[in-house]
Amino acid sequence: MTELLITRSNHLVDPYVHVWAWQIPVYLFLGGWVAGMMSLAGYFQWQGRHRDRQCTCVLTPWLGVVLLSLGMFALFLDLEHKRYFWRLYTTFEIASPMSWGAWILVVVYPALLAAALVQPPQWLRRAVPATEALASWLESRPALVRAVGLASLVLGLALGIYTGILLSALGARPLWSSAILGPLFLLSGLSSAAAFVHLVARRRDERVFLARADNLFLMLELAAIVLFLIGLATATEAHKQAAGLLLGGPYTAVFWVGVVGLGIAVPLVVQSLAVRHRIQHTPLGPIMVIAGGLALRFVIVYAGQVSHWAPQVAQF
Amino acid sequence: MSPTAQTLNEPWGDGRDATRAVDAAAPAPYMNPYLAGIGLGLVLLAAFVIMGRGLGASGAVNAFVAWVVGSLAPAHAQSNAFLAEYLGDGTTHPLKAWLVFEVLGVFAGALLSGLLAHRVRVSVEKGPRVSAGLRLALAFSGGATMAFGAALARGCTSGQALTGGSMLNAGSWVTMLAIFGGAYALAYFVKWQWR
Amino acid sequence: MNTPFYKYGAFGDETSLVVAFVIGIGFGFFLERAGFGSARKLVSQFYLNDLAVFKVMFTAIVTAMLGTTYLAWMGVLDLSLVYLTPTVLWPQLVGGLVLGIGFVIGGYCPGTSVASVATGRLDGLAFVLGLPVGTLLFAEAFPWIRGFYENGSVGVQTLPGVFDLPYGLVVFAVVLMALGGFAGASWIEKKFQPR
Repeated sequence: MTELLITRSNHLVDPYVHVWAWQIPVYLFLGGWVAGMMSLAGYFQWQGRHRDRQCTCVLTPWLGVVLLSLGMFALFLDLEHKRYFWRLYTTFEIASPMSWGAWILVVVYPALLAAALVQPPQWLRRAVPATEALASWLESRPALVRAVGLASLVLGLALGIYTGILLSALGARPLWSSAILGPLFLLSGLSSAAAFVHLVARRRDERVFLARADNLFLMLELAAIVLFLIGLATATEAHKQAAGLLLGGPYTAVFWVGVVGLGIAVPLVVQSLAVRHRIQHTPLGPIMVIAGGLALRFVIVYAGQVSHWAPQVAQF
Repeated sequence: MSPTAQTLNEPWGDGRDATRAVDAAAPAPYMNPYLAGIGLGLVLLAAFVIMGRGLGASGAVNAFVAWVVGSLAPAHAQSNAFLAEYLGDGTTHPLKAWLVFEVLGVFAGALLSGLLAHRVRVSVEKGPRVSAGLRLALAFSGGATMAFGAALARGCTSGQALTGGSMLNAGSWVTMLAIFGGAYALAYFVKWQWR
Repeated sequence: MNTPFYKYGAFGDETSLVVAFVIGIGFGFFLERAGFGSARKLVSQFYLNDLAVFKVMFTAIVTAMLGTTYLAWMGVLDLSLVYLTPTVLWPQLVGGLVLGIGFVIGGYCPGTSVASVATGRLDGLAFVLGLPVGTLLFAEAFPWIRGFYENGSVGVQTLPGVFDLPYGLVVFAVVLMALGGFAGASWIEKKFQPR
């Protein structure tokens, strides 16, 4: 165990906090992406669309398991005392966002697995006959499948919002001190997921639905960003300066060009035109949305650490 | 009883024919060059009025190369007078250059225009007498050549001919005339690539 | 109204990068509208059967030139605050020739190559990949060619300054030249139609 006694200055907090590096934005992005895919797959399963093997809700739970594991690994890499990570699961601290996160993630895995086993792929049915039996049993209980779908939907929304609450619960960083950060990250996750699933969907009607859903999520995400900035700009001086980081400060260009421009506005225009049959569907829209979602996490995490409560220190 | 792949009723079925029609849409004809020129000129004018500078492209490549070399071999980059200029004093990231962001915009704007005109298609532009592979090699060489020339001339057709031309910059007019001169002089010798 | 806005402190460097992106969108949009995402269209200029490059470029130059001249005359735009690259006679002459050579070999210039990548052209991508290679070659060779790089440096020079003529007169002459060029272009295009 390492004990640190400091009287103020150390390289991790001066001149500004930079404790969290790339691992956290990557984890938040993957968490949001999986959360969005869970919500969409859960919605499809609740509607009974899993009966068609071509439905994306057959594929995305497996992808979710893989991506979420990658995200958890990134999170693990960030831990200081890696060997003791299991201790997170020996207690539940109701006031700790990290504890909430650890337990939500634990519940998400069985939910993903349950969703995946509703319609297992052929090779798995042959390799593990139990899955075939389970799938048949579930097939005969549509109410249960609907419940699985609903659970996926609710857990997906919870996971998406949690990724934002993890940051907003830390009041010490004014940029994150905003209640809309949770919904913003959820909408970003939903838009990334809808964009990705739209790319891989095999049914044309699913592709159209997902494109429309993605456009809706993108518009809501833009609204959330506006509300986020308004909320910051009308709060305390420290909040105003935090907002200033994105409105003329050092993160302005990357935010407005990378996150808002190339990540939301341009793909929104492209996808809206495609949905109205003015132009053909192109994979470039979804790719930009996904890259924009990753950029959003990076900007918020990095800029948030720079934001500061002491105005005389926070000069940019 | 294993589930069969039933085709469900389409609650979201939507304009299949409309989608097919736009997928097969023919490319639209190009805009009248004079109108496009006016549009381009107005964009250039906006740059002058808003930023006090014009357009460009090769500067973005210089910034990118300076960043790459600066990341991989910082000492070497700093000692190179040409690259060091793009690295600045270290307070700003070399990729945070005006032209880099402008070029990102060029990509987005061209994408939008191409999509609207049904002109986005994976293809290789070439004449009938050369293979795609040779064309790609020539394109690569042409790019390297132009970058070298642009570094010498302090800009390419966008920065020198277009921007400097409209500002009656003497050096830009020299560059512009040299570009046309060089191109016309060599055109006959590379005709086999295009015709 | 005092313009250029940026030079009068209306916004900072970070915001100027966002402005760059937006202006770039306009730039890329009109480049693609004119068809400059296509290498074949671009090089047709040098085989004289499609002079769109000349038409677009000079229309843009004239538009921006007339715009800046008029706004400067009205007192809205301070021309002295608009950035001009300095004139360095010999490297710009040679650089221009090299640019022209690269143009007909590669089929694009740096700005149009980005537009062509956006519309899916693989040869445009090859060209873009060649650009940093050329810049790197230049940077590595810089210590040896530095002398030539500065040869003939005469600072910022405009055509009115060089010919000692009033600004407005040179503007007028350029407009006449452009109009004459447009008329001649139509005639040339008809004459050199590919058989």
